[in-house]
Amino acid sequence: MKNFLNGILHLRRGPWEMLATILIALGVFMLMQPFALILFTYSFLVTLIGTVMFIITSHFPE
Amino acid sequence: MSYSITEPSSRQKWIAGGLVIAYAILTLLPLAWIIATGFKTPADAIAYPPKVLFTPSLEGYVNLFTSRSRVTPEDLAALGPPTTWYDSIVRQYDMVITGASRYGERFLNSVIIGFGSTFLSVFLGTIAAYAFSRFKVPLKDDLLFFILSTRMMPPIAVAIPIFLMYRQLGLSDTHLGMILLYTAVNLSLSVWLLKGFIDEIPIEYEEAALIDGYTRFQAFYKVVLPQAATGIASTAIFCLIFAWNEYAFAVLLTSGTAQTAPPFIPTIIGAGGKDWPAVAAGATLFLLPIMVFTILLRKHLLRGITFGAVRK
Amino acid sequence: MPDPFQRAALATPPKLAHQIRGLSDRTIAWLFVAPTIFLLLAVNIFPLIWTIRLSLTNFRTNRPNNAVEWVGIENYRKILTNPDTWASLQATAHFLVWTITLQVLIGFSLAYLINKKFRSNDLWTTLIVLPMMLSPAVVGNFWTFLYQPQIGLFNYFIAFLTGADPASFSMIGEVALAPWAIIIVDTWMWTPFVMLICLAGLRSIPPSIYEAAECDRASKWRQFWTITLPMALPFLMLAVLFRGIENFKMFDLVVQLTGGGPGATTQLTSIDLKREAFEKWRTGYASAYAVILFVTVFGLASIYVKALNKVKDR
Repeated sequence: MKNFLNGILHLRRGPWEMLATILIALGVFMLMQPFALILFTYSFLVTLIGTVMFIITSHFPE
Repeated sequence: MSYSITEPSSRQKWIAGGLVIAYAILTLLPLAWIIATGFKTPADAIAYPPKVLFTPSLEGYVNLFTSRSRVTPEDLAALGPPTTWYDSIVRQYDMVITGASRYGERFLNSVIIGFGSTFLSVFLGTIAAYAFSRFKVPLKDDLLFFILSTRMMPPIAVAIPIFLMYRQLGLSDTHLGMILLYTAVNLSLSVWLLKGFIDEIPIEYEEAALIDGYTRFQAFYKVVLPQAATGIASTAIFCLIFAWNEYAFAVLLTSGTAQTAPPFIPTIIGAGGKDWPAVAAGATLFLLPIMVFTILLRKHLLRGITFGAVRK
Repeated sequence: MPDPFQRAALATPPKLAHQIRGLSDRTIAWLFVAPTIFLLLAVNIFPLIWTIRLSLTNFRTNRPNNAVEWVGIENYRKILTNPDTWASLQATAHFLVWTITLQVLIGFSLAYLINKKFRSNDLWTTLIVLPMMLSPAVVGNFWTFLYQPQIGLFNYFIAFLTGADPASFSMIGEVALAPWAIIIVDTWMWTPFVMLICLAGLRSIPPSIYEAAECDRASKWRQFWTITLPMALPFLMLAVLFRGIENFKMFDLVVQLTGGGPGATTQLTSIDLKREAFEKWRTGYASAYAVILFVTVFGLASIYVKALNKVKDR
């Protein structure tokens, strides 16, 4: 956990990519879940943020 | 062979083999049924219980390749006796052959578009893969990812702008339009696969050739290409299979002149509803080449379906 | 005796030597990559940008004379609050979850069995793989024949196993059964895909690990959970992600099988999108829909490539 926070602070690739992956997965889940329409409504935003984040953070140093 | 404690016992092998073979038979049953149905008469095809043993008939194939129309018995009698075997099959149903069906054209379209796009995508893919494999290309990883991601896009979503663009350019329902489209889709696969194959060729061969006074171009086509031949061939088959099987773009962007077989085969209908033997005959002819290719490809299958990431 | 030129050439470092003769590496690299990039720009990126532009308008292809108005993110708002769209994404989710679960279970088991290396296992592996190489549209169309009540082979087979009347149920005509009809065919078709990748995973495990485990007297059961599964997991992830992406955009097989029916029970997103774009011709709206799918697939694809590189390093 400490490593993860350290990586986030120092703009390391691993933890940031992990964060973006989680956001994308969350967005996809929200898009297809059968529970609440409100989650569906905001799913695209979450996926978009995750994807853009992934593209940017994949250029961070290892 | 040395004895290993991890080697499965012969009983385990028997059980494993039995289960796998049972699955294989079950999974091949639908395919066997397609082939069998193609040789049934329409009555046999819809018999209950489903007929496993039947007298083979070429009616499905005759119906597949011809268009027929119904005539009155008097007119039929006036025509005289049937001259060919396929005439006699058709006349049993008070019909006469009025011409060839569209299946041949559609099949030919599949061949033209399949081979055209395969050639282009393998050609462009080979040179791009060589460059990606051997040279420092700026933003290499991003470009490679971009190339791969184009393959992943939902075809229907891509088809909306392509549909509008092709209409403007006059490319809709043309062979050229479909070839370019399939080439673009296949490029990602061919670049990724071929990059893997070229990466495996030791760079020393080329360096030796360069020292011998070859130019880069000569080194490329005299040293690298022959070494990559197997890889190029299997990549070509993968591209061909994709173009051959593709349906979504074909159904949305073609309707007449450039329509391929996949959107056409399901539309084959007979006099009273769907003519299943004809559909099955069309499907059999269409699927058989791919079955043969799959068997040829078996060593490279894994590589092809994972964009070259997993080798054997 | 080598002449001085040759000696000079030999003494030159290879990188420099390339540049002396013919075109420089840089030029060749560009020359070789450019056509690919150009074609992809023309057929992928330009249309993508066009889609994004269209998604912000109310353009309709069947009414080209109507004034095109900018509507901002109105289309996105409409889609993301539309319960029908949501329903079709849920149908996609149902399809995804079940196909992936079944394919992983069957595919992994098959790979595990094939890895026992029984006699002529190569032949059977090749035969099992056949369905996935065939045209989904053509095969899907033929499955509607197998699914016919009474005369269909599938119904006959089920009736034979359960004793039910083969005419009493219609896999593609009934609301309760249609989602399963598409799951069955997709599983039939794509289980070999998962199987092949799992097999590669299993074969990548060095036997020495098992030998060590045998020496430690670890039970077979324990070996499976502590060695086999963890070692094959990256491959399994790869297969799951790829099938996930493919089935998320599933079109050809399902459109031929059920056409989205009965009602909208099997109307997966791609079929829904096709209706909006090419039957209702609401181009602007459909473009926004397409952009949403693009971004989702692009996000999943980036995770996929990450998984791909992980496996590649093995």
